[in-house]
Amino acid sequence: MNASDPRSAWPARAWPEPAPAARWTFAPVLGLPQFGPWLAACLTALALLFVSHGQWRDSAAWRWMDVIGEGGITLMLATWLAYLRAARRAGPVTDWLCAGLAGMVLGAGVDLLDEFWVLPKDVLWDNWLESALTPLGMLALTRGLHLWRQEQLVINRQLQQREGGWRDHRAIDPLTQLADASHMVRHLEAEAREGRAAHLFLLGLQGVDALARREGLAAADRTLRDAALLLQLHLPAAALVCRYGGDCLVVAMAPQTLADADAWRQRLVKALAEWAAIRGGTQAPADAAAVGVRAAGLAWGPGASLGAGDALLGLLERLR
Amino acid sequence: MSTLSILQWLDTTAAPPPGGRCLQADTPVLPWSDPGPLLTELALSRCFDLGEACRSAGLDPAAGMFSPRQLVALLQAVRQQAGPDTPFVLGRAWLPGHYGLASQALRGSPDLLEALRTLCRWSGRLCPLLTPRLLIDEHELVLAWSDAGSLPPGARALVVDLHMAAVALGLSALGEAPLDWSFSFNRTRPCDLSSHAAYLGPRLHFGCQVDALRLPLAQARRPWPVSEDLRQAQAFAHRALGLGADPQALGRGFVAAVHDRLLPCLADPPGVEALAAAFGMSPATFKRRLAQHGTHYQAELDQLRAGVALYLLGPQGQGNEAVAGALGFFDRANFRRFFKRWTGGLPGVAR
Repeated sequence: MNASDPRSAWPARAWPEPAPAARWTFAPVLGLPQFGPWLAACLTALALLFVSHGQWRDSAAWRWMDVIGEGGITLMLATWLAYLRAARRAGPVTDWLCAGLAGMVLGAGVDLLDEFWVLPKDVLWDNWLESALTPLGMLALTRGLHLWRQEQLVINRQLQQREGGWRDHRAIDPLTQLADASHMVRHLEAEAREGRAAHLFLLGLQGVDALARREGLAAADRTLRDAALLLQLHLPAAALVCRYGGDCLVVAMAPQTLADADAWRQRLVKALAEWAAIRGGTQAPADAAAVGVRAAGLAWGPGASLGAGDALLGLLERLR
Repeated sequence: MSTLSILQWLDTTAAPPPGGRCLQADTPVLPWSDPGPLLTELALSRCFDLGEACRSAGLDPAAGMFSPRQLVALLQAVRQQAGPDTPFVLGRAWLPGHYGLASQALRGSPDLLEALRTLCRWSGRLCPLLTPRLLIDEHELVLAWSDAGSLPPGARALVVDLHMAAVALGLSALGEAPLDWSFSFNRTRPCDLSSHAAYLGPRLHFGCQVDALRLPLAQARRPWPVSEDLRQAQAFAHRALGLGADPQALGRGFVAAVHDRLLPCLADPPGVEALAAAFGMSPATFKRRLAQHGTHYQAELDQLRAGVALYLLGPQGQGNEAVAGALGFFDRANFRRFFKRWTGGLPGVAR
């Protein structure tokens, strides 16, 4: 593609990551990508200490209740650690959380090992290990949780426009990365229960079907995805944007006077329409107004005659 | 003896010519080249691994052919990856599609009515998962979908939505004016109607006994802007298809083929033996084949009767007596019992 090709002015937006990975990838902890094997090596070293210093307990003397209980605790802690590493990016919060859980895994491991080996009375290190590892792990975990809270507050601010006061990853639309209509309804109902009203705008992109036929599914998908981003750029931080369905986006804002609401509606339509014209111009010069924008708004709040879902359906009707 | 019959409204010009082979749900009869390019395009746009989706559906694109059941499994896997709007996004690009002569025949249609007839006639190529049937009276047309083979319950909504979108968004876009389609779904109303409403429009009816689209006939007869070239290509495509140039277009899902045999004689339906003989099978093989499609003779007969009864009672406003006669019931009481068992309501509700 050369520089004179107008399409080169419109870079393809790719996903930050190739699809929401179903694969399990584990974050490095304390700079160690192989944290799991290191933890396993520590457990093995502890086991070797028991083997070298202790005496194998006859199976008739095993306290099954303790074996199952302590074994179960070790296993569950290790599982939580695996989930945590698979869920989080590397960083200080992950380090503290994982180090804490790892300490607790080791502490529980020592507790489990002494069910199988009897150590002489004069050996004290096992008591020390048992009483030090678990509490230290708990302290590190608590420090991690404290940092996690702070991190979460920052992320909440980043995601404010996308999730409002409620988080449910199952409502996230994979195309626009916005939540769906059910999320918006839940948000509105929760706000209404708190006695707060909202002003709703439904924005519909017109002509995306034709765009998909002319330029392909990717062009249509990109249009919608970019429109979602552009809309967030033009809205105050406290607004919530969701993908209503199809080629429609829905916005919930703080209550507005009629004049303000109308100004907002016009501002949003103008922003999307100008961008759509530029976009159409670069992609298909002969067909500049390829994607049009329509919008409808209404105030909704406690005591409204229609439910939030029906109010949104009504808005959709007005778009047609 | 009543002369009322569904054949008065069933558009027989839309029936496929005889001689097509039966498409079994588990036999690899569909070429990968039909849905392959569209699914690949979606996978590229939404950044998911189509190969992985194929593997999870037990399908090997390199083999070239796959079965209807595998296609359904693949669509389910694709929806998992691409998002809940998949049936609508795929649907609006599904028709007229790029399926060779059959798509060419659709593109050159002079109006929607003719396009729908073409869709019904060459459904083996254009929509092998669901079989469309066209019912026309003086005011409106009804396009009713029935299983071509058998759909697993979890996939039914996905496949039906895809076909609804294919007709209402894809095929209808060949004309320029927007159309007032209304949609009947044979399932309960979803909690969240937003996707359906945003893609298909406001005329959505859930909890119906059939999956169907309805449209005022006048809108279907509005002429489409078709160039002379396209018209000639369409005439050529129809001629070539009629001569058997694309054997798959003549194909018919097994369950749909059974319906084809039963529909003209619902007042006095053939028994299993007679039906099996018509398919050139022994009754045992015929029953086994139906069981492989997850159904049996009485279930299909009852489902057809319920659908026909709903159409005759509802849009056609026929009386219970006449409908009972048309469906081979001895009296109204029998018919009412049957109707209640199948639809959960009395015949009056259908009106």
